[in-house]
Amino acid sequence: MTTGHNSKLTDVLERCRPVPPASPNILKTLLAVQSALGHIPTSGILQIAQVLGVTDAQVAGVLSYYSDLRTQPTGRHLIRACMGESCMANHSARVLRAIQDHLCPAAGDASQAERFTVETMSCAGNCALSPTVMIDEHLCGRVTPSDVPSLLEAQVLRRKTEG
Amino acid sequence: MTPTRLYLSNDTSSRAAGADKLADAWRDRSEIQLIHTSSRGAFFLEPMVERDTAGGREAWFNVLPNDLPRIVAGVGGTKVAEIPYLQQQTRFTFANFGITEPLALDEYQSRGGFKGLAAAQSLSPDAIVDVLRLSGLRGRGGAAFPVWKKWQVAQQTESEQKYVVANADEGDAGTYSDRMMMEGDPFRLIEGMMICARAIGATRGYLYCRYEYPAAARAMQFAIQKAREADLFDCDDYPFDLEVVTGAGSYVCGEETALLESLEGRRGVVLAKPPYPAVSGLYGKPTIVSNVLTFATLPNILANGGAWHASLGTEGSRGTMALQIGGRVKQPGLVEVPFGLTLRDVLDRFGGGMAPGARLKAVQVGGPLGSLFPESQLDIPICYDAFAGAGAILGHGGIVVYDDDTSMVDLARHFMAFTADESCGKCTPCRVGSVRGREILERIQMGQGDLEKIEWFEEIGHGTQPHGFFSRLETSPSSHHDHFDSLATCPDPSQ
Repeated sequence: MTTGHNSKLTDVLERCRPVPPASPNILKTLLAVQSALGHIPTSGILQIAQVLGVTDAQVAGVLSYYSDLRTQPTGRHLIRACMGESCMANHSARVLRAIQDHLCPAAGDASQAERFTVETMSCAGNCALSPTVMIDEHLCGRVTPSDVPSLLEAQVLRRKTEG
Repeated sequence: MTPTRLYLSNDTSSRAAGADKLADAWRDRSEIQLIHTSSRGAFFLEPMVERDTAGGREAWFNVLPNDLPRIVAGVGGTKVAEIPYLQQQTRFTFANFGITEPLALDEYQSRGGFKGLAAAQSLSPDAIVDVLRLSGLRGRGGAAFPVWKKWQVAQQTESEQKYVVANADEGDAGTYSDRMMMEGDPFRLIEGMMICARAIGATRGYLYCRYEYPAAARAMQFAIQKAREADLFDCDDYPFDLEVVTGAGSYVCGEETALLESLEGRRGVVLAKPPYPAVSGLYGKPTIVSNVLTFATLPNILANGGAWHASLGTEGSRGTMALQIGGRVKQPGLVEVPFGLTLRDVLDRFGGGMAPGARLKAVQVGGPLGSLFPESQLDIPICYDAFAGAGAILGHGGIVVYDDDTSMVDLARHFMAFTADESCGKCTPCRVGSVRGREILERIQMGQGDLEKIEWFEEIGHGTQPHGFFSRLETSPSSHHDHFDSLATCPDPSQ
């Protein structure tokens, strides 16, 4: 964990410190940490446990249980292909392959891994417009494999101009 | 010149269909005033733009940015009242959709909002439960438990603190009605929760929203803030407050005991019942956990009476059901109809047939743990009893249509892998059985299937049934049973 992370973590945990009679809420705390740091470094488990007054096993247990809690940072752009049943019926597997082909020309390219994280998700709730791809917070519907390059460029550029 | 008022949906799916592009492109156009509404749910027509005319709203479908001049000129629109997809529906719970601005409290009130709560305020808690009993309302999340029974238990359990919890962990793939409700008519959900709170004597509510729905969570937070500022929570000296809590990606948290564990910040593991949450739920206090749509159905029931609700639908399934059609159909979208139409009726009337070039293979109802119906079994009426009789579940009303490009073995493997990933791990038959089941299906995928493997698979199905805490998981392998019977003798299982 970097020094920057360390002080950010301390700040977040200060805000999450339970005030009696409220009981500590591990999941809420971990979500707050993730929202501030982008992920939850496993090296911070002990500190989180101490602030909440619970055991580190309890914190690690919650951290490993929920699939949306991340212990590793993601790339600058998070691309999630929906694999829910409506998307599956509409060939989301082909869309996922197109994304992987487009973004991973050379396997193990570290700079590419820093830029993009490609994942699947089980349902985005956009089933009437399947197949769905989520690029960062932006949801795209009716995606075909041939749309993928322009979609990725458009969203990445959009983020750059907005950011 | 007064700008023309145009209505455009701000629903997440409408935006994904291109409504956001229209809003961007038209932002600075002085000839129009853009009103952001909820969606009518006819997503195959989105992005859809509407405007007022002397004869009611007119709509333009699948609009592109350069269609603006003809919309402003009023050329080529269709009367909304004459769109067959909408005309054939019975909209009560989704009556405001496509019409109002979701976060405009005055609009909600002007269209009958908070009349249900006002009716509840004039009744004793017992009388509210009686209205629910008469209405025949059953939980809309999937378990379909009679709502009044749960309420009566919570009401009769003495405690200084009780809770109302809305289950917005809409995890069944193929469903999106809760998301639409939270984004599109959040005050209806708030009103429903307040009615429940009065009936059982709760002063605090939580909305547990899944991580994948950030826009829904924001809309609810905003609506709650507005309700608070308008002193709606404090009316009649009956204090109530509501908080939105986010999950973190666990399917099992849709089950009520797991949801409450998660709400308290722990692993979302299913607990043994009894005690039921209505007796001992959140922090050990009496708690009503119900699906978003169950709460959203309440305002109309209280405003119009239990008998009104009981007059809709079928004997054991009163009222309307929000069905969400997806997959390989021409017209995917949300449909609200009284219970009792057959699955075939729904697909014919609303689904509009298969997508070009696609041939129907199977229809899935009730999410990943639901059932698959072949073409020959589509005449089943959509109601709880008919589905239970067929060994199926209606679940949360998700309907996914598959064409013959989908391999049933791949699909079965997908379901089993999903179950293995999402199993909370509490019970061995599910935790281990789902992994073994996935492995067997992977063998079959590789062409190594034989009768013995199918028998193992069936054994896993039977093994999980009597032993699981999570009643939904019990249905997982066995509901796809018939398909595996035919797999055993199938020379090419990928078909």
